[in-house]
Amino acid sequence: MRVKFILALALAALIVFGPVPCGANPSAAGQAQRKAQRQKAARYECPMHPEVTSRRPGKCPKCGMALRPAKNNGPAQTAGAVAVEASPPAEGAAEASALRIPDATVYNQNGRRLNFYTDLVKGKVVAINFIFTTCTTICPPLTATFRRVQSELGEHVGRDIELISVSVDPVTDTPERLFDFAAKFKAGPGWTFVTGDQAEIDSLLQAFGVAVANKNDHTPTILIGNDATGHWTRAYGLASPTTLVKAITEAAGYK
Amino acid sequence: MRAVAICLTLAAGLLTAHPFAQGVTAHAFLAQEATATAAAATLTPQEKRGKQIYVQGTTAAGREVLAYVGDASIEVPGSTLPCAGCHGLDGQGKPEGGVVPSNLSWEILTKPYEVTQASGRKRPPYTERALEFAITRGLDPGGNKLHPAMPSYQMAREDLADLVAYLKRVGQDRDPGLTEKSITVGTIVPTRGELSGVGQAIRATLTAFFDEVNSRGGIYNRKVELKFIETADTPAATAASLRRSLQDEQVFALAGAFTSGADSEIAALADELDVPVIGPLTLSPQTARPLNRHVFYLLSGLEEQARALVSYASQKLQGDKSGVLVVYPESELSAGVIAAVKDQCLKNGCGPVETEGYRRAQFDAQGLAVKLGKTGKQVVLFLGAGGEAIALMKEADKLNWSPAVYLPVAGGSGIMEAPLSFNRKIYLAFPTSPSDQTGDGVGEFRALAAKYNLPKTHLATQLSVMGAAKILVEALKRAGKDVSREKLIETLEGFNQFATGLTPAVTYGPNRRIGASGAYVVTIDLEKKEYLSASGWVDVD
Repeated sequence: MRVKFILALALAALIVFGPVPCGANPSAAGQAQRKAQRQKAARYECPMHPEVTSRRPGKCPKCGMALRPAKNNGPAQTAGAVAVEASPPAEGAAEASALRIPDATVYNQNGRRLNFYTDLVKGKVVAINFIFTTCTTICPPLTATFRRVQSELGEHVGRDIELISVSVDPVTDTPERLFDFAAKFKAGPGWTFVTGDQAEIDSLLQAFGVAVANKNDHTPTILIGNDATGHWTRAYGLASPTTLVKAITEAAGYK
Repeated sequence: MRAVAICLTLAAGLLTAHPFAQGVTAHAFLAQEATATAAAATLTPQEKRGKQIYVQGTTAAGREVLAYVGDASIEVPGSTLPCAGCHGLDGQGKPEGGVVPSNLSWEILTKPYEVTQASGRKRPPYTERALEFAITRGLDPGGNKLHPAMPSYQMAREDLADLVAYLKRVGQDRDPGLTEKSITVGTIVPTRGELSGVGQAIRATLTAFFDEVNSRGGIYNRKVELKFIETADTPAATAASLRRSLQDEQVFALAGAFTSGADSEIAALADELDVPVIGPLTLSPQTARPLNRHVFYLLSGLEEQARALVSYASQKLQGDKSGVLVVYPESELSAGVIAAVKDQCLKNGCGPVETEGYRRAQFDAQGLAVKLGKTGKQVVLFLGAGGEAIALMKEADKLNWSPAVYLPVAGGSGIMEAPLSFNRKIYLAFPTSPSDQTGDGVGEFRALAAKYNLPKTHLATQLSVMGAAKILVEALKRAGKDVSREKLIETLEGFNQFATGLTPAVTYGPNRRIGASGAYVVTIDLEKKEYLSASGWVDVD
C-alpha cells in the first residue's frame, strides 16, 4: 500500500512533486523527544536523493531506487526545522505528524479564533495553499483551482478533507477581507482562510518552508498532507485540479 | 508613461543587432511620438469601453465576460481575473511568485521580427487578429500555448474589438483630468442657505492654496486647475450633478469636498468612476466593509468619536462590567453609532450594552429619567441633541441620579447649563484640537489668509480643507510625475503619521481610510464653565 502510494505520486508528475521529507526534530517535551528518538531510529533515505526520506522502507519517487536506512542521525532537513512552536503529539498514535506544524493562533474568514494544528490539521487530510487578497496575478488562478478541487472532492471536503488558504500578508488581510475574497471565489464549507498576527503566521510559513521576505515572491505551492499517516507532498499550485484531486485522494488513501 | 515606453523602445533597439530592426524601431519611435502628442492621451469611446474590460473585466453594456483558467478551463467571471490584475494598469506586467506576465505595449507586441520570450518560446509579431486569438484561444501568433497562468476569455465580438482597440493604447493613456501641463482637482461646495458661507470658505481656501502651489511651479510642472461643483437640493441630485461634472470636465480627484448629507451617494460614485476623494467634509465617513478604496477621510466621524468615548469609558471603568446604557433618538444616524458602540464595547470589554430608544417628537425627559434611573447605570451614552441631553440631566438630577454622561453627537455651548451634580461627569469627543496645529502649519495658513484675504469665518472648515489639499499635494509629489489615480491611492495607503500641521497626523493603509481615527476626550467643569482635557488622543484603529 505504502509503496503503491509513493509510486503513484511519482506517476502524478505533471507537476513538480517533492515529497516533504519526513523527519524528527528533538523537542523540549520529553514525550516528543522519545517519539523523536523512535522516528530517528526508523528513517530511510534514497541513496541518490538524500532529501527523500521516509519512516518506512520503500522506493524513491524520483529514481525508483530502494530506500536504505539513513546514516545521518541528525535532524532531517525538514521544512519545519525552524518552527517556533511544537505541535502537540498526536494522541496515542504510533505515527506523529511528519511535518512539524505549529499550533499557531489564527483567525478564519469569519473572525473565529482557531489553533492551526489542533483545529484544522490534526487527524485530517489537508491541502494548504498560500495567498493574499491584494495579490492579483497568481492568487486568482490559484484560488479558482482550489475552488474546482473543492467541488470535485464533493462532500469529503469539510468532513475528512480540509482545504486551507493561509494569507501571507496577515497585516492587510483581516478576516473581513478574507471573507470577501472567499465569497468572490464561492468557497464552500470545509475551506478555511486563515490570517492572524504576523509572528503566528510567520511560524506557519516557516514550518511549511514557504516564508519569503517579499509577499510578491511567494511561490504558488500547495502542500498536501495526511496528518494521521504523516505523509506530506508539495504540488505546484497552478497544476490542473485533476492532478491535485488525485494527489489529495491518494494522500487520503481512498484509492 | 510615454517616457517609459520610449525608453523601452530605445532599449529594444539598442539590444537588437539587426540593422533593419533598428531602423524600424526608430521609425516606430517617431510614429509613437507623433500619435502621443496628437491624441493628447485621451481615449476614444471605443478605447474607453476597452479599458473597462482591461481594468475591471466587465463591459460597459453589461455583457458577460468569462475567463477560463488552466488546462481544466475552470470558468470564472472576467471580473475575477481582469487583464490589469497581471499585466498592470500600464500593461508592463506585474511579476509575482515566479510568474512574469508579458509586457503588452503594442510596440513590443508588434516588433517586426521573431521575439524570444524569457521562457524560450518564440513568436512572430502580433496583429489585431492574432491578439484576439491569444485572448480567446490562449495561443500566440506562432501557435504556441501561452503561460498556464494566462486564462482564455470569452466575450462578445464587439467587446473583444473594444478590448483590442484599448490594448493598442495601454500604457499611453492618462487618467481623466491629467495632462502634461495640468491636473484638474474638483471639489463640492454648498451655495445655498446657511451653508453658503461654508461653500465660500472652501472655495476661497482651495483657490488661494493652489494659486500658491501653482505660483511655485505647480506639481512636476503641472498646474493645478480647480473645478467647483455645487451641491443640489437632494443627495441624489448632488450625485447626479457630480457625475456630469466628473465625466464632462475630466476631474482627476476631489479634495476638501463638502459631502455631508450625500456621503453614501458620493462615495459610491467615486468608486464607480474611479475618482479618488481626499478629505471630504463630513461627520459620517463611509467605512462599511468591503472598504470603499477611493475615499480618504481626514478626521473621525460620529461613529469613531463614539468609539473613542467607549474606549475611554471602559478604561475608566477598570474592569467594572456593569455595562453601559445607550439612549438614542430613533434615526438612521443612531443605528450606525449604536453598532459602533456595541462593537467597541466588545473590543474593550466594557460589559453589556443596553439600549433605550425614543422618538424625537415625543421626547419626555421626565419619563425617560424615571425609567432610566431605575437601571442604576453609571455610564450613559446619549446620542440625542444637546438640548435633550440638558433636559434629561436636569430630570435625573431631581432623582439624585447622576451617571457619567457621554455625548458623542451633542455639543454646543448650551451644555454649560447642565446641573452641577454632573460636574466633570459629562464627556465629549473632539476629532481635532488646537494642539494639533503646529507653528509651521498655523504660520503657513496665516500667511495664506493674509495674502489672499481669506474669510474670517468658518476657520475650522478652512483648516480642514487646507489639510486635505496638503495631503493631496504631498501624495501627488510622492506618487511621482508618472501619476495615475491608482498610484495616488496606493501612495496614500502608504501615509504614516503625515503631519498637515493643521489637523491630527494622518495614517492610511489598505484597511484604513480615516486619517486620524480617534478623538480627544474632554470633560466640563460646570463651576468654572470651561472645558477640561480628560485624556489625550484616544486612538480607535
